[in-house]
Amino acid sequence: MSALTLYQIVALMLLCAGLFGLTQRRSLVGMLISVELMLNGAGLSLVAAAQLTEFSATLGQLGTLFVMGLAAAEATLVLAIIVVVAKRFGSAQTSDITTLKE
Amino acid sequence: MELMAKVAFCVYTLVILGGSIFAVSSSSLVRALVGLITTLVGVSGMYLLLATPFMAFMQLLIYVGAVSVLIFFAIMLTRAEAGGDEGNSAPMRTYVLGLAATMAPAGILGWLVLTKPVESIAVPVEISIKELGAGLLGTYFLPFELISVILMVAMAGAVLLTWEKRGKK
Repeated sequence: MSALTLYQIVALMLLCAGLFGLTQRRSLVGMLISVELMLNGAGLSLVAAAQLTEFSATLGQLGTLFVMGLAAAEATLVLAIIVVVAKRFGSAQTSDITTLKE
Repeated sequence: MELMAKVAFCVYTLVILGGSIFAVSSSSLVRALVGLITTLVGVSGMYLLLATPFMAFMQLLIYVGAVSVLIFFAIMLTRAEAGGDEGNSAPMRTYVLGLAATMAPAGILGWLVLTKPVESIAVPVEISIKELGAGLLGTYFLPFELISVILMVAMAGAVLLTWEKRGKK
């Protein structure tokens, strides 16, 4: 088994953990944690593919840097949305936020 | 030295696996966050093994330093319950469907990875930060500028969303 395959399997593991958490969690913060896991798996897969093949290593590393920047922006916005939802509904559980309009 | 690399790879894999399982299964959100931080540190170790120390540093700085603090703020601001937010367990149907939704993409991707292996270089080459900087300000200048715009918009949007007029309450 080549080294790249091993790294891809680890990244796949992170994707699976994130997907499973996203379906199981009942609070918005727990879902945010799962999404961060998946984004990390994507970054690891990108860097491994760029470093271990003939592909341009600069492009792989910069792409992962952009993924990190997007993850930071996404976490900021999700935090703001969670705070607004918690203020309006009194909780951040997904089961409580099922009404569209009161 | 090759044996050392293999041992380090196994250790980091165990750290990532344990941390991610803890992050998705823990009933307390603060403990799930600790699991997430463990996973992030493990991934940064993987970056070190791939001869990309700059990415490992950025992983620690951005994820462990900034994003996890943000998530901790989210936990505190939503008044997380002491007994754990995920107290009563999910119904069996949700569990089975979630497992199926996880296994479908995992099966396809795992099958592709295992049956169509790509030849990989044994020792990855480290490229200097200078080259990365030249790439950011040369070939990839547009995405570099766009990401700063996105970060600005996200920051302004977050402030706007949580804005409260003085004297409204």
